[in-house]
Amino acid sequence: MPREAMLARTFVDLADTLVADFDVVELLTLLTDRCVEVLDVGAAGLMLVAPEGGLRVMASSSEAMRVLELFELQAQEGPCLDAFRTGLPVVAQDLSTASGRWPRFAAEALGAGFQSVQALPMRLRGAVIGALNLFHVDRGEMRQADIDAAQALADVATIAVLQHRAALEAQVLNEQLNHALNSRIVIEQAKGMVAERRELDMEEAFTALRSYSRNHSLRLADVARGVIDGTVAVPELDSAPPA
Amino acid sequence: MAGERRLRILDLLGIGGTSGSETKRLCEVCAEATGTTGAGIMLMAGDVPRGSVCTTDDVSDLIEQLQYDLGEGPCVDAYQDDRPVLEPDLARPRTPRWPAFSGPAVEAGARAVFGFPLQVGAARLGALNLYCERPGELTDDQHADALVMADVAAQAVLVLQAGAPAGRLAGELEAGSDFHYVVHQAAGMVAAQLETSVGQALVRLRAYAFGNDRKLAEVAADVVSRKLRFDADSGEKDPRP
Repeated sequence: MPREAMLARTFVDLADTLVADFDVVELLTLLTDRCVEVLDVGAAGLMLVAPEGGLRVMASSSEAMRVLELFELQAQEGPCLDAFRTGLPVVAQDLSTASGRWPRFAAEALGAGFQSVQALPMRLRGAVIGALNLFHVDRGEMRQADIDAAQALADVATIAVLQHRAALEAQVLNEQLNHALNSRIVIEQAKGMVAERRELDMEEAFTALRSYSRNHSLRLADVARGVIDGTVAVPELDSAPPA
Repeated sequence: MAGERRLRILDLLGIGGTSGSETKRLCEVCAEATGTTGAGIMLMAGDVPRGSVCTTDDVSDLIEQLQYDLGEGPCVDAYQDDRPVLEPDLARPRTPRWPAFSGPAVEAGARAVFGFPLQVGAARLGALNLYCERPGELTDDQHADALVMADVAAQAVLVLQAGAPAGRLAGELEAGSDFHYVVHQAAGMVAAQLETSVGQALVRLRAYAFGNDRKLAEVAADVVSRKLRFDADSGEKDPRP
């Protein structure tokens, strides 16, 4: 398949992962694999910032690449970290002259058989969420067309990751909302049940439920659920204060 | 363009409303932005309505009440089918649907009703309910505005809930809402009266309201104020002499 067609195919495949069964690691692995297949690079790796801060290796086109990326994190120096911190592309056309910049990382990369590196930020407007590392077995400049294509792929992946995070956040909030409403509803139902069994008004029934939950160090909603499903016997509820 | 529509809607939301409640303002903007008579935001879970976050007026309030009482209507369908549900002429629908809902809704002044699903990503919240006092299709422009508005409203509900303490409903969502607490209190009482589950008690309450052509909320209020009892042997009793 010609390069342009492969590239177009990759964009389609990346977009395709946005639908159901979305998996971040799968998306990013597709990205690193295609960088190697479509662009003129020896290996590709990708790091994302974790929710608690700090970068994590998310995808690598080979095991050697993964080891090198882990080393970069451990040494806290290297092109991926620089691209992430600055939000700008970082290039080293000859790693043998980069020992001043990344003394430990440059040696490790050369040992793994790589002569040059290009790191691209994963960025959307102000937010930098990670970086893509592209390694070459030869020295020299990467073709601008390849850099542009890699950055475009990284941009699409960035949007996918951010959308996925927003969707997850929405799901958590919606579950919290439903949980809060369920708790409130079950408390109202338990109030009704206690009011009927003990011949109290709703206010007194609520007081009885609340004192029981306090005296037994239980959450009000759990006591209410117990009343509804019969595991908390209504006569056991402490007497309400006289009206 | 969707971006411009969003900006216009956010602009409307930003303009200081006359109402103190944020969700009330949200509902008003839903109606203003879509050029409809009134709007309501209904939350749903497990395919049944939970209640209203807000409504703009008595008619939209009734539209939501009817759907809660009867379990049918444009919002219920929009949520269940996960797509917009459009009825441009509720009095003379092309395909009759919602037999119990339509009559009272038309009588109250809703001649066209529209339901749009409320969702953010995979999170499904409920439906946006829009009505018009005159029959007629939504224009393409109104339809596009409604889609953006449903998106904004869904996000607004979640943003409001994000500030709530754990396990509690956000105060901003509670204000002006109707989650039918009296109905649930009544269900608890009826469950005790009939020695049955609250789920079953809710079914009995709904059946009683429908059979007697009354609002569920009124029947529930009668149970709570002990004007109405449910009896296992002989059905419902009015204890008043």
